[in-house]
Amino acid sequence: MASPGSLGGGAVSTRGGGGAGARRLKWALELSLGSSRGRGDRQSNQGDALYPIGYSDKPVPDTSVQETDRNLVEKRCWDVALGPLKQIPMNLFIMYMSGNTISIFPIMMVCMMAWRPIQALMSVSATFKLLESSSQQWLQGLVYFIGNLLGLALAVYKCQSMGLLPTHSSDWLAFIEPPQRMEIMGGGMVL
Amino acid sequence: MATFVTCLSFFSVLLHFSAAVFEDQVGKFDWRQQYVGKVRFAYFDTQTQASKKLLLATENNVIASLNSRNGEIFWRQVDKAGPEGHIDTLLVHGQDAIMVTGNGRLLRSWETNIGGLNWEAVLDTGSFTSAGFVGLQDSVKYVAVLKKGAISLHYLSNGHQKWVENLPDSETVQYQAVYSGGSGEVFVLGVVPQSHLVVIAYNIEDGEIMKQRSVDAPWLSGLQPVCGVVSSGILMCVDSSTASLYTLPLDTEDREDMSQILLQSLDLAVAPDFQPVITSTQPNPARDPLPVFFLQLSPDHHILLQLQDGIISSLRDFQPASLASFATTGEKTVAAVMTPKNNTACSINLYSADSGRRLLDTSVTFPQDPTGGPPERLYVQAFLKKDDSVGYRVLVQTVDHALTFIQQPGRVMWCREEALAEVVNMEMVDLPLTGTQAELEGEFGKKADGLLGMVLKRLSSQFILLQAWLAQLWKLFYDARKPRSLVRNEVTIETLARDEFNLQKMMVMVTASGKLFGIDSRSGAVLWKHYLQNVQPNAAFKLMVQRTTAHFPHPPQCTLLIKDKESGLSTLHVFNPIFGRKSHITPPVLGRPILQSLLLPLMDQDYAKVLLLIDDHYKVTAFPSTKNVLQQLQEMASSIYFYLVDASHGRLSGFRLRKDLSTELIWEVVMSAEVQRIMEVKGKRANEHVHSQGRVMGDRSVLYKYLNPNLLAVVTESTDLHQERSFVGIFLIDGVTGRIIHEAVQRKARGPVHFVHSENWVVYEYWNTKARRNEFSVLELFEGTEQYNSTAFSSLDRPHPPHVLQQSYIFPSPISTMEATLTEKGITSRHLLVGLPSGAILSLPKMFLDPRRPEVPSEHSREENLIPYAPEMPIRSEWFVNYNQSVSRVRGIYTAPSGLESTCLVVAYGLDIYQTRVYPSKQFDVLKDDYDYVLISSVLFGLVFATMITKRLAQVKLLNRAWR
Repeated sequence: MASPGSLGGGAVSTRGGGGAGARRLKWALELSLGSSRGRGDRQSNQGDALYPIGYSDKPVPDTSVQETDRNLVEKRCWDVALGPLKQIPMNLFIMYMSGNTISIFPIMMVCMMAWRPIQALMSVSATFKLLESSSQQWLQGLVYFIGNLLGLALAVYKCQSMGLLPTHSSDWLAFIEPPQRMEIMGGGMVL
Repeated sequence: MATFVTCLSFFSVLLHFSAAVFEDQVGKFDWRQQYVGKVRFAYFDTQTQASKKLLLATENNVIASLNSRNGEIFWRQVDKAGPEGHIDTLLVHGQDAIMVTGNGRLLRSWETNIGGLNWEAVLDTGSFTSAGFVGLQDSVKYVAVLKKGAISLHYLSNGHQKWVENLPDSETVQYQAVYSGGSGEVFVLGVVPQSHLVVIAYNIEDGEIMKQRSVDAPWLSGLQPVCGVVSSGILMCVDSSTASLYTLPLDTEDREDMSQILLQSLDLAVAPDFQPVITSTQPNPARDPLPVFFLQLSPDHHILLQLQDGIISSLRDFQPASLASFATTGEKTVAAVMTPKNNTACSINLYSADSGRRLLDTSVTFPQDPTGGPPERLYVQAFLKKDDSVGYRVLVQTVDHALTFIQQPGRVMWCREEALAEVVNMEMVDLPLTGTQAELEGEFGKKADGLLGMVLKRLSSQFILLQAWLAQLWKLFYDARKPRSLVRNEVTIETLARDEFNLQKMMVMVTASGKLFGIDSRSGAVLWKHYLQNVQPNAAFKLMVQRTTAHFPHPPQCTLLIKDKESGLSTLHVFNPIFGRKSHITPPVLGRPILQSLLLPLMDQDYAKVLLLIDDHYKVTAFPSTKNVLQQLQEMASSIYFYLVDASHGRLSGFRLRKDLSTELIWEVVMSAEVQRIMEVKGKRANEHVHSQGRVMGDRSVLYKYLNPNLLAVVTESTDLHQERSFVGIFLIDGVTGRIIHEAVQRKARGPVHFVHSENWVVYEYWNTKARRNEFSVLELFEGTEQYNSTAFSSLDRPHPPHVLQQSYIFPSPISTMEATLTEKGITSRHLLVGLPSGAILSLPKMFLDPRRPEVPSEHSREENLIPYAPEMPIRSEWFVNYNQSVSRVRGIYTAPSGLESTCLVVAYGLDIYQTRVYPSKQFDVLKDDYDYVLISSVLFGLVFATMITKRLAQVKLLNRAWR
């Protein structure tokens, strides 16, 4: 904290520290831990002097859990859970627009459509952690999971309609070995 | 709009297949060799001393002029093949070459300098017997053509007929010769065999008969070659039965008999069973012949005789002397005589025709090629040197149709292998690996050495490779200092080695004369030749590759089956296709005539494929026939079948091999020979690979191909050639069971039918007599959407007949021959190579010959890339693989796969030989010729440097930011 360049650093911070808001202070001392979290490290050094120790110019939030907050969390969790499902109409529209021809853009779309659910399913544990605070955690998780599966199914359907899935016998034609010849035959016109 | 789209898709397909060569690629991958055929008449241009022209007329109906300095063709005129264009005679006078063709149908005069036609006259009907120049007062103005019943005289300048006269008693008298000595009369000599000789003298001016008489000659059966006119119009004949010479002055009124001179009185005797020959010479048709002539009494005995004042005297006796010939330069006439020196050389000497004295310093040695045949004819070009002595060059024709031109003192200036004008059969054989490659191969071959030995061997072979590489580098460096013209990679047998893509191969060619050739496919150089003695002119040949070069250290082995048509006897010639040497393996002695042969995929312990030979008692001989082979044959006998086609009886029969190498007849199909004649039967090529077992349809299901390896395509033509009733039949017959899989009859069609049978399709071409056009027809066989048995194909277990699709197209040209391209794995799309009579070789995509081409294009057909059906088949000039290098009278096309999947090697042979490479699906596996290595590598290096620099810059920037 007590770096040798604290004075010079102060000059830098006033010019470059646009993130610190509209404060035009030469230096400041700040003691409150909570509000300093949002600021840069160097600024925290300078705010201390102007205000008394322990003073914060922001009102201290009311940290007591209220009923409205709980609803908000619930809502937020549902947003997360329903996210993949909400994307499906959008995906359907993109699918319709891109058509079934095999060219670079439809392929890119299909790849994106397939990759996003896969990525989401891979990081499903992280999402579950997000939903931990919700009371309907399991339901939300299930919805989230199903939404992603639906997205994946949509991508697979798109692949299928584009003919990218090896579902026909013609896709395996190149691997058929020529049948073995059981008889040897030869001859020709009488010389 | 729809039509526009179809047109667009159609043309995009066309664009895809345009595969013409670029200008700078001309002659890079292809070469052409032009031939004239077996020489029948040869004349040297005697106009000027320095003339280089040599005029030839050949059995292949070709008249050509060669450069006598290097043997190259100045010009060549190719007439129709067959008897229609047959050259009856060739006479040369000054700048004009007079030719009678088509058994006296046409009289033509050619300009000998550039080969242009001076004039052409149509002659009256009647079979041709003889022709000769007619001179008057020292100038030659007319040409007389003698036919069976008439004689006509034509102006030499424009071919107009001066007069034509019917010959008296032409039913009984065979008129055989015409003679004129510049005296104002034309003598016609006729013979009534074993009775008398008729001499008629015609007036040159009006064709009036001046004299006519007949002389008793009961010993005479024909004028050629026992008679000749010598001296001042005296007919000289030789008879072996009475062993005497007969003379008769033509230009007298007396009814005297021929005067007889016994050969005994000249101390001469005719060899038993030999027809003596008289060779006389008449240097100028407007003057009398010379009084000297050659008399040949046995194959190696010639005598130079002189007739002076009615007395015959012998000037010189030549024994042994195989060939003798006269030559004239200026006023001097010389006789050239070839005498065998030893087994490998003959010597030719020049003698004065007046005295028979040997001229000094005129001996020339003709090196007789041990791989060639004995000399057959001698043509001499004599010229006067500065000191007035006579010099000469000789053209020697050997029985293997080769022409050798020799200059004094015995220097061979050039040699032409005219046997190559009649290639009947060919194969392409891979070249052997180089010594180092073989060393490496050998290392993997044996495994008994133990670990240390293997390592040492590996090291030694790597060392050899390094050595070879260094030597190559050194050679490169050394050559770079020499001027470019001197650096030429001479191809010799010793330096032959397989290239990395196996694009260079050995072409083994069998010619009708019985001479075999080994030709390097890259340069066209003849690397070896071998003349088979005692091969009859109409013998049938079958060439088979028994062992390829893949089995080092065993040498490759080819077997040629030769069958003499008359005696029916067959012989086998076993040889090494790379060096042309006869193999030390003794082929089996074939006592009975061989009907057919069959090369089995079975190998003996020396990796030679087993050849089965079927004789006329349907017994089978195996070659090689070691114990191992016989044991293998016994095991496999029940699955070996063969078929024989007897075209004369219209019979196809199938046989099965028994364990004791006898056979049993299992099926027979008879096509009545009165109604239709079997023209040709083709199976599939043994080395053909089919990569895809089916075709993908528009709805992405599979239509499986009917790939029956035992399928035979039989083409018949009706014996009735009336245009309403003639037909062409095509039968697809299973060669194992004899089941007729499909038959199609093309009514109102006529041959000759050319066809290709490959994969699951047959393409044939015929003449439609109703619409008067050439048509292509394609048959394709499919199993359907289900495969009956995907692991094994047995003809005996095929319950479902295939689906057959057919479509026909109009082709705007007649064709000479047809073949399909062939590649290593069969992945590349197929093209048909069509030889046209114009000499072009057309590479026609098989895609155009597809019976599934829809009349109305649909979504599915577009998905499949099917071209909408159009009845006319286009010929696009980019499809000509030989651009302007026409191949005259192409008779056959041979295709061989190379080591590159995209590339197919093609050899077209006929009168000419043309070799090239085709890329049916373009060169997808090779970087293009004009690939910009410099640009690509500089971009690559630039990018690498750029990444290194930017990486450094990024590091510096990161560090700077960290310091803030």
